[in-house]
Amino acid sequence: MIELRRVWKVYSNGRREVVALRDVSFRIGRDETVAIVGPSGSGKSTLLNLIGGLDRPSQGEIVIEGRSLGELDDDELTRLRREKIGFVFQFFHLLPTLTCVENVALPLHLAGWDRRQAQQRARELLGLVGLSGRLDHLPDELSGGERQRVAIARALAAHPPILLADEPTGNLDSRTGGEILALLHELHERLGTTLLIVTHDAQVAASCARTLTLRDGQIVADSAAGAP
Amino acid sequence: MLLARLSWAYLKRHKLRWALTVAGVALGVAVLVAMRLANRAVLASFHRTVDGIAGRTELQVHAGDLGFPEEVLERVQAVPQVRAAAPVIEAALDTGLPGQGYLLVIGVDMTGDRSLRDYDLESGEEAIIEDPLVFLAQPDSIMVTREFAQRNGLGIGSRIPLGTAQGIRWFTVRGIMRSGGLSQAFGGNLAVMDIYALQYVLGRGRRFDRIDVALQEGVSLAEGQRALREALGPGFEVEPPAARGRHFEAILRSFSLTLNITSLFAMLVGVFIIYNSFAIAVTQRRTEIGILRALGATRGRIRALFLGEAAVAGSLGSVAGAMAGWLMARWIAGYVARLLQEVYGVVQNVQTAPAEPGLLAASAGLGIVVSLIAAWIPAANAARVDPVRALQKGKYQVLSAGETRARWWLSAGAAAAAVIFLLLGRSLVLFYTGYILAILAALLMTPTLALWLARALRPLLAWLRPVEGALAADSLIQAPRRTSATVAALMLSLAMVIGFGGVARSIYNSLIEWVNTTLNPDLFVTPNAEIANRTYVMPAEVGSEIERIPGVRQVQLVRSARIPYRGTPVLLVAAEAGKLAQTVRRRPLEGDLDDMYRRTAAGQATIVSESFARLRGLRLGDVVELPAPKGLLRLPIAGITRDYSDQQGTLLIDRSLYRQWWADDSVNVIRVYLAPGASAAEVKRQILERCARGRRLFVLGNQEVRRYIFRLADQWFSMTYNQIAVAILVAVLGIVNTLTVSITDRRRELGILQAVGGLKQQVRHTIWMEAVAIGVIGLVLGLGLGAISLYYSLEMTRRDLAGLSLDYVFPLPLATWLVPVILGAAFAASLWPAETAVRGSLVEALEYE
Repeated sequence: MIELRRVWKVYSNGRREVVALRDVSFRIGRDETVAIVGPSGSGKSTLLNLIGGLDRPSQGEIVIEGRSLGELDDDELTRLRREKIGFVFQFFHLLPTLTCVENVALPLHLAGWDRRQAQQRARELLGLVGLSGRLDHLPDELSGGERQRVAIARALAAHPPILLADEPTGNLDSRTGGEILALLHELHERLGTTLLIVTHDAQVAASCARTLTLRDGQIVADSAAGAP
Repeated sequence: MLLARLSWAYLKRHKLRWALTVAGVALGVAVLVAMRLANRAVLASFHRTVDGIAGRTELQVHAGDLGFPEEVLERVQAVPQVRAAAPVIEAALDTGLPGQGYLLVIGVDMTGDRSLRDYDLESGEEAIIEDPLVFLAQPDSIMVTREFAQRNGLGIGSRIPLGTAQGIRWFTVRGIMRSGGLSQAFGGNLAVMDIYALQYVLGRGRRFDRIDVALQEGVSLAEGQRALREALGPGFEVEPPAARGRHFEAILRSFSLTLNITSLFAMLVGVFIIYNSFAIAVTQRRTEIGILRALGATRGRIRALFLGEAAVAGSLGSVAGAMAGWLMARWIAGYVARLLQEVYGVVQNVQTAPAEPGLLAASAGLGIVVSLIAAWIPAANAARVDPVRALQKGKYQVLSAGETRARWWLSAGAAAAAVIFLLLGRSLVLFYTGYILAILAALLMTPTLALWLARALRPLLAWLRPVEGALAADSLIQAPRRTSATVAALMLSLAMVIGFGGVARSIYNSLIEWVNTTLNPDLFVTPNAEIANRTYVMPAEVGSEIERIPGVRQVQLVRSARIPYRGTPVLLVAAEAGKLAQTVRRRPLEGDLDDMYRRTAAGQATIVSESFARLRGLRLGDVVELPAPKGLLRLPIAGITRDYSDQQGTLLIDRSLYRQWWADDSVNVIRVYLAPGASAAEVKRQILERCARGRRLFVLGNQEVRRYIFRLADQWFSMTYNQIAVAILVAVLGIVNTLTVSITDRRRELGILQAVGGLKQQVRHTIWMEAVAIGVIGLVLGLGLGAISLYYSLEMTRRDLAGLSLDYVFPLPLATWLVPVILGAAFAASLWPAETAVRGSLVEALEYE
């Protein structure tokens, strides 16, 4: 489902070059739960951004569901992201002027769904994450955990096969973080999505079936059997 | 120095914003400089001409455009205080030379004039010039300036064609004047002829235009004036040459006022653009300010930082604006000069607007001062930033309730004062103060009204595009400070357009009615190519000849000319009032239609225009004292009508009275009415055949004259198009400025949009929709304020400019046309910012705070 082949990411500001990822290769199958761990600056978030199509590698190839991201132009990449990938961010990244329903329906409207159907789907997803009573609330009126639930619902709006979460509990207290983690795994079980979580939290990592460890931009450990 | 580096770093990051700020200053300064220079160029050209021709003349005796009989010269020469008195005729004649336009020809008495003027001949047939009698013996003799000769490749003996009362005639150059003095007049397009030859050329009969006087040694100007006035009586003006400048300024006044108002608006718009830029900069740099304050920078230092930036922007903008204004001035001066010629028959040869260092420096200084004023409030706000709050995350865009209340109260107070001043009545000071207060009230209300309108637009925008439209509206709602200055600038510009456009529409409507009822002859016969021009006259016998042509039902003789009335020139129209009563049945504003004609035809009264009456506070029945060569003619006002012949006012008297008091039988227009079934083309042909031999004559059809009048009106009101151009520029500058900030502020939001699947085109849509929404808000508020501004513009026209009462007609066609223009400009302004919004790293956008 997800394959990286000799991926490099180098940042340059004209005077210096920073290598964020070096020669990274691995494969992730359908329905896996994978934690990507490593110290700060190891390239975890960069890796997730590349898989999610938010950024492009300097070298190498990323294949998502048989499609090489390098062969796609911006619009094709965006459509792929819209259809295949749900993203959950550490800081939620909800639009502050839209209600919960509107935030969740956002990707569906962008995809051209019928308005009523998009609203209906958004309500269902919010019900799924336990926020039926918060449909018309603005993000400012929600707690941190509730906002992350809305973000998760939004990520699942188009029923993507892949869910990427970048430090999803990083901005939450431990109890709320635990609830969110449980929610993510529950949704993985129910919906069959492949789940990748970037985290520095050992407990979060332990909740996943597989752990990829990054250090200095390289994969130094892969708990899956047969990993390179 | 270190703080200056902070400013420099900000400038480098926001080059476009700075460019727009500088452009805002440059716009205001450029328009101000251009209008002032153009105005001065036109005035200076006139003064140069007057002063150049005046020479050593100390006083001038004249009676307006009508002139006076030759015998008056003897009366002037008989005054003991007079040392020298020389008669003069002056006229701008069509040269017929390609690209040369008009030539100002002065007719002088060669025997006596050289004591007052120095011709400073460069070359000439010395024998001829040495002996004026030889010059006089050659009636085709003419002296030209060196500049004119060089431009046209003329030398001694060259022949040039001039339009005369007898048609095109050829004249021989027999003298070339050196540069300087007299030859500077009229931009060098000056010629001198013998006065009696010029009388014939112009068909003036035995009349002079004026007498130039030099006084005896030791006689003061005041003494000389007194003595001459006593000798001549009330029908003459005795003034220094410079007084003619005042008369010209009176004619130019309405143009000057319009130009001044336009430049003031442009400056005000520039203020808003600058204020907007700095207000946004302060908001964006709150953290930086907080850090500086936390580290010990005083409030004064912070204020000085921003004012310093404003001074730099002001300096750059002022220099650019001054240069641009100087370049524009020439075009505007030429445009005004053309208007003056066509509307008033006043011919000017306007030179290149000089780069007056004083004016340019003053305008540049004004640009800096305006920048500082515009940036003062944002700088003061920056100085007030609380370092603790500034270093916390969170926006600071929402208008506080307290601030909103304060604005409401101030606005209500200003509006109430404006209404009171309007009702209080007559004082112009109160009226203009009220106008300013009304605008101030609107400006204070702009942020709140813009917010309301943005909220009202949200459902519509969301209906059009659920995501892009909603986000566009939310961007305006969440950041009123970012938008309100742009909206205010756009509102002001559009209000000005509606104000002027509405007056133009009202005048146009009234013009149509006037033309239909007053300019209703089938044909107009005149010796002047342009009907407003009164250079040439023709004898009354031409009318008798025309009457004999088959198909002619009635002929009406008209003599019109400007005469001085209480220091300003007004148009005197001498017509056959009894005949007019049969053909011009326009209901007067005051007075009885039949009674006013009857009394005027009997030589017992005058009919005046509304502008004449209002500008001088006169009413029906008041007595008007007209200075005439035979004395002071006193006539009661029998009727007040709406007449557009002259902005300073028109008086109609019967032709018989004119002949009696001015001893002049000439006419400059013959109005011809045809019998039913007569062919206008055939009658025109007959008129030209019988009357145009050896005579300059033009026969204009009714439609031709109508088209000419409306073309003049269009030209005058084309100023409205310039204001529309300013409004569009404001829309584009302001919206680009606002959007660049909006995109920066919304960087993360736009990144989220793309991260969750928004295509770049969809991001562009939200930016476009935001821009168009700003355009819509600006339009709504602009049209609303325009409706108020129109009322004030009409009142200004009535009370101050022209004394005309015009109907309030909101210019709906113009307003309708403005909608696609402004929305189109708003959309165009959004194209480039929309592109910047979709560029750059998505990851950085998501991390942006």
